[in-house]
Parts: sequence; C-alpha cells; structure tokens
Amino acid sequence: MMETLIITALNGLSLGTLLFLISMGLTTIFGVMGVLNFAHGSLYMLGAYMCLQAMRLFHNFWLGLLVAPLAVGLLGMAIEVQFLRKIYDRHLTLQLLLTFAFLLILDDAVRILWGAGYHTVDPPRLLAGTLRVLGRPYPVYSLFILVLGPAVGLALWAFFYRTKVGMIVRAAAMDREMASSLGVNVPKLFTYVFFFGSWLAGLGGALAAPLRAIGPAMGEKIIIESFIVVVIGGLGSFPGAFIGAMIFGLFDAFGIHFVPRIHMAIPFILLAAVLLWRPRGLFGEEI
Amino acid sequence: MKGKGVLSVFILVIFGVFVLGMPQGAVAKKPLKIGAVYILSGAFATYGQFARNGINLAVDEINAKGGILGRKVEVTFEDSKAKPAVAIRAFRKLVYEEKVDFLVGLDSSGVALGVVPTLPELKRILIITHAATPDVTGKKCNKYAFRISVNLNQNVGAGARIAAKTGAKRWTTIGPDYAFGHQSWEYFQKYLKKLVPDAVFMEKVAFPKLATEDYSTYITSIMDANPEGVFISLWGGDLVNFVRQANAYGFFKKGYKVLMSLGAATEVLYALKDKMPEGVWVGTRYWFLANPSPTNKRFVEAYKKRYNAYPSYNAQNAYTAIYALKAAIEKAKSTKTEAVIKALEGLRIEAPVGKIYIRPQDHQAILNVTWGKTAADPNYPIRILKPMVTFSGEEVTPSPEETGCKMK
Amino acid sequence: MRVQGLLGILVLLALILLPSFLPIYFVLLFTEILIMGLFALSFNLLFGYTGLLSFGHAAFFGLGGYAAAFLIRDWGASMALAMLAGVIVAGAAAVLIGYLSVRLDEIYFAMLTLGFGMMFFTLVHQWREVTGGSDGITGFGSPTLKLFGLTLSLGHPVHYYYFALAVVVGSSYLLWRITRSPFGLLLLSLRENPERAAFLGVDVRRYRWFAFVIAGIFAGLAGSLFSPFDRMASPTMLHWTKSAEPVLMSILGGANLFLGPMVGAAIFFFLEHIITKFTTSWMIFLGAILVLLVIFFPEGILGTVVRRGHGKG
Repeated sequence: MMETLIITALNGLSLGTLLFLISMGLTTIFGVMGVLNFAHGSLYMLGAYMCLQAMRLFHNFWLGLLVAPLAVGLLGMAIEVQFLRKIYDRHLTLQLLLTFAFLLILDDAVRILWGAGYHTVDPPRLLAGTLRVLGRPYPVYSLFILVLGPAVGLALWAFFYRTKVGMIVRAAAMDREMASSLGVNVPKLFTYVFFFGSWLAGLGGALAAPLRAIGPAMGEKIIIESFIVVVIGGLGSFPGAFIGAMIFGLFDAFGIHFVPRIHMAIPFILLAAVLLWRPRGLFGEEI
Repeated sequence: MKGKGVLSVFILVIFGVFVLGMPQGAVAKKPLKIGAVYILSGAFATYGQFARNGINLAVDEINAKGGILGRKVEVTFEDSKAKPAVAIRAFRKLVYEEKVDFLVGLDSSGVALGVVPTLPELKRILIITHAATPDVTGKKCNKYAFRISVNLNQNVGAGARIAAKTGAKRWTTIGPDYAFGHQSWEYFQKYLKKLVPDAVFMEKVAFPKLATEDYSTYITSIMDANPEGVFISLWGGDLVNFVRQANAYGFFKKGYKVLMSLGAATEVLYALKDKMPEGVWVGTRYWFLANPSPTNKRFVEAYKKRYNAYPSYNAQNAYTAIYALKAAIEKAKSTKTEAVIKALEGLRIEAPVGKIYIRPQDHQAILNVTWGKTAADPNYPIRILKPMVTFSGEEVTPSPEETGCKMK
Repeated sequence: MRVQGLLGILVLLALILLPSFLPIYFVLLFTEILIMGLFALSFNLLFGYTGLLSFGHAAFFGLGGYAAAFLIRDWGASMALAMLAGVIVAGAAAVLIGYLSVRLDEIYFAMLTLGFGMMFFTLVHQWREVTGGSDGITGFGSPTLKLFGLTLSLGHPVHYYYFALAVVVGSSYLLWRITRSPFGLLLLSLRENPERAAFLGVDVRRYRWFAFVIAGIFAGLAGSLFSPFDRMASPTMLHWTKSAEPVLMSILGGANLFLGPMVGAAIFFFLEHIITKFTTSWMIFLGAILVLLVIFFPEGILGTVVRRGHGKG
C-alpha cells in the first residue's frame, strides 16, 4: 500500500513538473507584461509537434529537445512583435481575445499540417527502459522528467534572483513604469519575456511528447490546467508556479487513485477555494 | 452585313451552349447519394479514415460495374468529432442540404445513442458499421436503424466464453467512461457469471475519460488491487496510449489474464507493432485472416493493393454496408426508404467477414465473431492471432426478446 | 433612430417570411442563430453593460438545457413547462454562483466563473446515473406546446423555428427594456467606473449580482430552447469552450450595441457555413478574423458600421 502511495506521488510530481514548465512561462508573461496568454497551451502543443518533426528529420530526440523549444520561442516572439504589441494600451479583454484567436489559429494549423489523427514519439534509448522503484517497475523517462523539473526550476531561480538580467525582469514585473523610467527598454524586454515564456512552453511540449499521444487537442486541456496552477500559486509569482504545479499534480494523481468519480472536478474545486479564500494565491502579491 | 454576321454567330453560340448544357440524354440518371458520418479527427481519426477507405473501395468497385440500378454512387463524408451534438448537425446537413438518400456511419456508441432517435424525423436509413452499444438495436431500436457489424453483446459474449476458459476468477476492468465502456463491463459481468458462477467482480475499476492522455495512475491503481483477470474495453488511440504506458509499468508481466475486446483492430496493431505484448486475448469485429473464402481473399488483396495495409474491421464493415445497400436496393428495385427497409430485413449476403443475415426483428446482423491470442509472426509486420477462435453468430447473439427491441 | 427602427422591422419581416423561400437547412441554421443569439445577448448584459467577463456562462445555458430535457423526456412536458424549469434551475444556480463570484474583479472574476462553470460541467459529465454522463440525455420526443387545451407538435423544423423566433424576440425585447431602465444605466456606470459608483453610494457588488442572475436566467432560457432543438442535452453545453462562443459573438458583432451579439451570432454561423463548404478547418479563419477585428475593429462589425453611420468614423 505504501509503495502504491509513493508511486502515485511520483506520477503526480511528474505531471507537476510538466505543468511547472508551462505555468512558469505563463506566469512570467503575466507578471511582466500583464498579458494572460490563452495561446500558451497551443505553444506547448507545438513544442510536442516540433519535437515529432525533428525526430522524423534527424532521428534524434536530444536534437528535438533542443530545436523544438527554440522554434516555439521564435514563433512566440513573432506573435508578440507583430500582433500583441499593437494592443498593449487597450483593455485587458482585447488582449485575452487576441491570444484566444491565436489559440484557434494554432490548433487548426496543427491539424492542417500534421493531420487530424494522433502521433507517437518514442523516448530516446537512454531513457526508454524501466527501473525498479520500491520493487515496482517505473518508467525511466518519468523519472527523468522528475529530475529535470527541479533542475530547470533551480536554474531559473538562479537566473531570476542571482543575475542582473533576472533582477531587471523581476523589477519590471513589479513596476513597469518605474523600470522604464530607470532606463529599461520595456518593449524589448517584453519581446524577450514572451520569447522566454514560449520557449518554456515548447520545452514542456517536447518533453511531454514521448509520454503522451500527440494530437490536436493537447493544447486545450493543458491551458486550463496551467491557468489553475498559476492562480493557485499566485499570478506573476515564480515560486508560486512551482509549488502550485506540484500541488496540482499530486491532487490529480491521488484523486484518480482515491476518488476517481470526482477527480475531474478537483482542479476546479481547488481553483474556487483559492479564489474565495486567498485570491492572490499562495505566493502572489496583495490585490 | 456586319450586323447579320454578329447575329448569326450569336444564335450559334446560344444554340451551342444549349446543346452542350443539356443533360446527356435521358440515360444519365441522378447519382445515388450516400452520407457518411464518422470520427475524422482526434484520437480516433484513423477509424473514420479506415471507414472512408472501405467505402471508397466499395463505391469505386460498384461504379465500375455500372452503379446501383444504373445510377452512379456518390458519398459525402462528415466529421462527428465523437460528439453526439455535432453528429446530429452533420446528419441534418446531409439530409436537408446535401439531400442524401441513405446514411452510413458512426464510430461512437455515445453518438449513436444521440442520433438514432432522430432518424424517424429524418426519414432515412442509417446502417451502423461500428458503434456497438446494444441499445440501438435494442431498447432504442427503430425501423430506420440497421447494424451490419458485430455489436457489444456479441463481442462481449464471445469474450466471456474466452474468459471462462482462462481460469481467472477475480476480474476488474479498464474502459472508457461512456456508454461503450460501461456497457461492455455490464454485459461482461452478466455473461461471465452465467459461465463461471463463482466469478468475482472487483470494486476497483477504472473508467478514464475518452482521450485521456495520462493513464499512469489508473495503471498503478489497478495493479495495486491485484486482479486475476483484466477486461479492457479501451479502443483506438486510447488503447495504443494505454498499452505503451502500461508496458513501462510492467503491467503485462504480472501474470494477469488480459482480454482486450477491441485489441485486434489493425489500426491498434499497426500503431503498436511489437509493443503489443504477446499472449493477450484480443477481440475484433473482423479479422482479415479468419475467413478463407474467395470473397474475403479478393477484398483483402484489393484493399492491401490500394491502401498498403491490411484491412481493419471498420473498413470491412463500411465496405460491406455499401454492398448490403446495393443488394437491398436491387432486391427492392427501388431507392425509396420504405421499400429498402423491407428489403434489408432478412437480407442474406456474403461479405468478407462471412455470411451475414440481417435479423428483421431488431435489424442487427448475425455473423461470426473472432477472438485470438496475440502472437508474433515473421510474415506479418503486426501481431497476428494465433490461435484464432471463431464463434458463430447464433451462439453469441441474444434473442430479439432479450435485447428489448420493440420495433414500431 | 428611425433608420434603425425601420431596419429592425425589415429584418423581423425577413425572419418571419424566411421559411417560405429558404430550404429547411437554413431554417435549422437560423433557429440555431436565434437561440445562440439570445445566449450571447444574455452574456453581453454582463460583459458589455456591466463590464464583467464571465467564462462560465455556459453553465446556465447547459443547466437550462438539461432541466428542459429531463422534463420533456420523463414527464412529456410541453415547452412552456420545460422553459420554466430551465429558467428556474439556471436562475437558482446563478444566484449562488453570482453571489460568490462578484466579490472578485476582472481576471479573478473570469477565473472564478471558469472554475464554477467547469465544476458544473464535471458534475453533469460524471453523474452518469442521473445525467447520462458523457452520452447526455437523448431519445426524447418532439417538443410540444400546450395552448388552450390543445397540444401542438413542434417537431417540424419550421414550426419550431417560429416558436423559437417568438420566444427570442420576446426575450430580447425584455432584455432591451432592462438595459434601458434605470437599473441598466446603473450597470453602465459600473462598467465605466466602479469606484465612482461606489463613492456615490451604489452597492457595486449587489448590482453586479443582480446583473449576473438576470444574465443567467436568460441563458437558461436559451438553453431550454436549445436541447429540444438538438433532441439532446450533452455535457459540452456546459464546457468552457461553449462559454467562449458568446464572447466571440459579442466581439464579432459589437459589445457596445444591444443587438451586437445577435448580429455576431449570425456572422459566426454564416462564416462556419460558408467556410466549411471548402474546408473542415474553419477555426483558423475565425481566429484570423478575430485577430483583424481586435486590432483594427475593436468595436465589432456592427459597432463599427453604426459608428461610421453616425458620422465620424
């Protein structure tokens, strides 16, 4: 019984890690730019598809892992420069609608380019096997994700809290006008932040590719999940994205195991609970 | 002078347009239109694709031989997206805008349950080639709905017989969370209990949503409950996903007696190749190697030549549906719905899957059901069934009274 | 103003005469436009007039639809009863959800309504025994109308169209009167400047709550018209993607005009109808059009036309 609980926890944390990568991008974009990127799930999905494409061309997963997030990051940057930039001074709802429009475009584009069916990607041989965890077989790839998540988290933390660039981004996230008056080139910063957020989403997608079937509906589900994670953690909060994602993943996994009938509702119950009792989330600022 | 010349050219042109524009004689008849609704996108898109393959093959063969009653056959496809509401709109579009004469379709049992009650309004025959819920030829039957394919009752009936011989007594299930998954389990329990009175059905079962991406916790949860037998009704993309993920957790090395009611679908076997474990009992609604008849051999060859793959059951079923329509229309010598309904009832045809008899009381086809154990074979790129067990339709089909169909 | 009135009457006339010169397929299409248009109008009471973006509005639409479906399937109820049930159930839910949601603002309000909407979706989707789960409620007979002791069948598409037309026109008129009332004007002030309204002594929360409930009631009414039309109630009626449709329609048509969402609904369905003739990928076109709209015509199509019509474009 104990082993099952630990295995279930591992499953949850694995999901949490993927969510963390995506939510991190989402929350950074919101924190710095004030934009809630509805198309973020589609960017994640594109990361998976790019990885698939790279596998087809180069037959190398690691290359795919390198190339896919870059491609998605560049696409995000293009969207920011060409479209998003034009409506920064407009109402929040218009920004939401614009990113939602891109969700529609990207989701359909994927269907047109790769077909409506689903595809599969094999994990690289190095990570394809199973290991014994507490006497039970457990996929090596899931463990890889589990290790990678906190590693990326650590790297990001070091970036944001220990480098100059990172501090500038955090300053801009807290107070855009002040940062601008201190000489920060805010428009350029926005572009880089959007690139960074999209890159993270693409990385999440590329990592998820060997785990799940790749299909056009991938983006829809994960965007809602990442919204919830970001709200639970606190909009714009970096540690919030990490903790929120882990909480979400654990609740999801234990939910399936113990209360399968209502497990679907758990994320929304969490969302409502947080919003009603502590709207700023676990680590967010006072609103 | 010039004016006269222009006028004559003008008249000639008008005349020419008229002649060319006229229908090519009285021999050319209006084409016979069939509307087909399948899942064409998402995790189950290959099913729709294969149905399309089967239909196109049948239609081209039939048109090459002069069509049906001298009329060319045309098919329009619509995507149900596995959603009943979308399918209803698609059917309305086909009947009211495209003005089709007949309907074939439906992969999803959920969709079938939504659509079949609307058939009396649409006043068109629908031949179901895939959706397996017993209700559409049972509790919710009506005279417009026909099913040419093996239904859930028949497939699970055969499966229960297989399960009875495995010796496993504690059973659980993993199935999709909609009509098909729940009904498969319901009927499996019913039929197995009759054959193995001391069979035990566990509390812990798994019904992940259709198109679930991550099965890991369902897998570990079921394994934790230590079943002896596992009855899996997942299908299509879900089954592929599940098997890949379950392999990683050692699910198939624990000695469970595993049955997959739709594991022998060629799309699943192609997608998994050697990741499909050997020694699993799998069912299907048509196995391309099961029937040695010349009809089947011809079909398999033609299909393989055109599509470079062995035909799946969805392709065969859709192919057969078109031929069944042809036979019924020719028997009735009419394309009027009422006449064709009467012709379809009691129809006997020879299909690739074997002999089919459409039972008049509930419009369900009675035909052979094949199950088998997965095995590797160097002659084929996919797992094949060795041994194969074929049950006759009469053996596994419940009587019309049992189905609860009261045809009005 | 007079031009608008005349235009309105012409449109109404066209709608009434529609079934005589268009095939059944279009009658079905317009029925759907009318019903979804009402749904979008109800949403816009919250969005365009009160300034609240709700991402869970489909919950009320769906609850109304299920209530109607239950009544028709299990009690053979007539449309009047079914609609009443839809309105009551949706209204009750709106009272509860609205009360909790209006304590928050902007993004948080949107998120909370999304959460509640999806909770109802999950309830309907999972509770197989009662709601039929993902298969929904199906197999109920043709909708009927009981008037003066007579039972009229509304099964034929044309009959149902006229019924829906009558209900939608009536409800739209009601909604229009509400927006023109002192209450409606107050809502506008809440959208423009809630702090100022609060300083003037308006209980912002309370009025938002009222708006929420009214919007929910009319959404429930639309839902109760929809499930008999579709001959089924399915969980997708409550999904957040369904909630996004009135948002799109309001933007397409123009959230600042009362009938904007209705026009938006017509545009939405026509676009789908035309584009799906050529390709199954129509979402990409919708997305592209939205991008253009947001950047160049934030007032929506009708909104821009009206503004141009009034002079300064």
